[in-house]
Amino acid sequence: MSEIELESEVAGVVLSVTASAGATVAEGDEIMVIESMKMEIPVLATGPGTLASLAVEEGEAVSEGQVLARIRP
Amino acid sequence: MSDRKPPSDAAAEMDGLLAALASDRAATLDAARPAAVAKQRKRAGMTARERIAHLVDPGSFREVGQLAREADAAPGERPADGVVAGGAMIEGRPAVVLAQDFMTMGGSSGELGGRKLHMAVRRSIREGAPLVMLLDGGGHRIQIGQSSRRYAPSTTTFQEFARLSGWAPMAAAMLGAGFAAPTNFAGLADFISMVRGQSTMGLAGPALVKAGTGEDIDKFELGGAQAQVDRNGIADLGVEDEAAALDSLKRFLSYLPSNARAPLPMTAAPAEDPARAEALRGLVPANTRKAYDVRRVIDLVMDEGSVFEVKPTYAKNAVTSLARLAGRPVGVIANQAMSLGGMLTGPACDKVAHFVALCDAFGLPLVYFIDVPGFSIGSPAEKAQLGRRSAKLIYELGHATVPRVSVVLRKGYGLGYVAMAGGRSFEADASLAWPTAEICAMSIEGAVNVVNARRFAEMAAAGEDPEPERARLIAQMRAEVTPFGGAESFGLDDMIDPADTRPRIIEALERAPARRDLAMPPKIRSICPI
Repeated sequence: MSEIELESEVAGVVLSVTASAGATVAEGDEIMVIESMKMEIPVLATGPGTLASLAVEEGEAVSEGQVLARIRP
Repeated sequence: MSDRKPPSDAAAEMDGLLAALASDRAATLDAARPAAVAKQRKRAGMTARERIAHLVDPGSFREVGQLAREADAAPGERPADGVVAGGAMIEGRPAVVLAQDFMTMGGSSGELGGRKLHMAVRRSIREGAPLVMLLDGGGHRIQIGQSSRRYAPSTTTFQEFARLSGWAPMAAAMLGAGFAAPTNFAGLADFISMVRGQSTMGLAGPALVKAGTGEDIDKFELGGAQAQVDRNGIADLGVEDEAAALDSLKRFLSYLPSNARAPLPMTAAPAEDPARAEALRGLVPANTRKAYDVRRVIDLVMDEGSVFEVKPTYAKNAVTSLARLAGRPVGVIANQAMSLGGMLTGPACDKVAHFVALCDAFGLPLVYFIDVPGFSIGSPAEKAQLGRRSAKLIYELGHATVPRVSVVLRKGYGLGYVAMAGGRSFEADASLAWPTAEICAMSIEGAVNVVNARRFAEMAAAGEDPEPERARLIAQMRAEVTPFGGAESFGLDDMIDPADTRPRIIEALERAPARRDLAMPPKIRSICPI
C-alpha cells in the first residue's frame, strides 16, 4: 500500500516533534504539535503503521495542507 | 345469476390464476435471475432485495408494484421496472423503503419506476413515516429522457421531496452508482451514508464531466466517499461495507420520531455511574493553549454507548452527534479544540446549521458544549462567505423551538459564543459553565494587542522590550475573565462541578417544555442568510 500523508489542517509553526522516523505508530498517536491561533494543536496518526518520514522539523512554519509526515500502513 | 359456475370450477380456475401470479411474482426475485445476480456480486455485495432484507425487520416488507412491468417487457424482463419499493418495519416502526435495482438496466427508471419513486415519497408524507432510499443506479433511461414529448411534463416528485423535508426523516444509502439521479434523490435527505471504495455520488459522473468540461477524473476521485464525505461534506458518513451503511441508517433513525408530530423514541435510562461523572473533572485543561478531545466529554455526559457522530470526518472542528440522555434523544453540538482549536469555519457553520435544523424539525433538544475561540478570520474566511455562513447558526438557533442547554467548557469568545447558544443569547433552558470557562468578546491576547498596538510599537521604537508589559496586561485582563464573573453578573444560571454536568442537563430537559413559542412577528417566513 502507498504511504499515507499527514497534512497540516492549519497554517502555523511546528512547536515540537514527538515521534521519530521509523517508529511504529497506532491510530491516534501524537506525531507532532503545531502552534496556531495561540493553541497547541496535536497532529495525530490517522492509522496504524510505521512513521516512514518526517517532512518538517521543529520551529518550521507550515502552511495549510502541507505534508508533515508519511505513514506506511 | 345464470352464469354462476359451481364452486369447484371457480376454485380450479383460481388455482390456475394463482399459479400464473406466483410465476410472475417469482420472475421478479433474485432466484430467477442468476446471471444478473452473479454480475451484481462482482461490483457490489448485495442485490436490491437483499439490501432491503438486511434493513427491515424480518418478513415485514410489503412490496408495492412488484408486478409492474412495461408493456413491451415479458414477465421477468426489467422486473419491477428497476425500483423495488414498499412499506416495512424498521426496528418495530413503520418506514417506506425504496431500492434501485442496478440489475435492471443499471438501476435506471422507466416510466413505471419513476411513478413508484413518486409513490414512495407521497406515501411517506401520507403515513408520516421515514423514507429510506437505497440508491445504486441512474435516472431516466436515455431513450425516455431524450424525448421532449416525454420529458417536458416532468413530475412533481421533487416538489414532494421538499414537502417531505422536516415532516418525516429521509435517509439514504449510496451503495454503488450514485452520480446524477441518485444524488438528486438524496439531495434533500437528512442523512446519507456511503461505502468507501464502492459508492459514488455527485451531479454528474466522469463520462459526462469529460464530455462537458474536458476534465479527466476517476469516479472515486470525483465522487467517492473520501471526496463527498471527508472533503466536501455532502454525505454524512463513510463506512466499510454495505451492511454497515444499512446499519448506519437504522442507527440514525433510532434517534428520531416517525414524524415531526410523533413523540420522541425514548429508551430506558441507564443506571448512573459515579466513576464516569468524576472522570469529567480531568478532561479539560485550564490552560487554553492545550488541546483535548471534546468527544470524550460528550461520551461521558451522554448515556454510555449512545453517541452517534454525524459527519465525523468533515469539519472536525465542530462535533455534531446524536445521543441519549437518560434515554431521551438529544442533538449535541461541540467545538473540537483538537481541530483548528475549535474555531468556527464555513464548513463547520454549514454542518452545525444543518444539524440544528434536523434536531429542531424532529423535536430533539440541543446540548451545546462551548470551547470556541471565535470564527475563522482572514481572506480565506471571507472567501468562504463566513460573514453570512456564520449567520446561519444564528438563523437556525433563532428559529429553533426545542429546548437547549449550553455548557461553557472553556473559551466562549465573541459571536462564536452567541452562535453556540452561550449565556442568555437564545434563552437557554439552562446556561451553565465549568470553572475553566473564559467568556469574553475576543481572545485576551488579541484584545491586549489591538488596544495597545501603538504603545507596544512606541516601546519597541524606544528600544524597550514590550513583552513584559504585554504579559502583565494579559494577566490583568485574564483576571477579569472568569466564570465567576459570568455567574455573578447573572449572565449564566450557574457554574458547576464538571461531575454534575449530566444530572444538571437531564434535570433541565425534564423541566423544559418540548416546544417553545417564539412570539414571531406576523411574518410569512424568514429568509436564510445564504
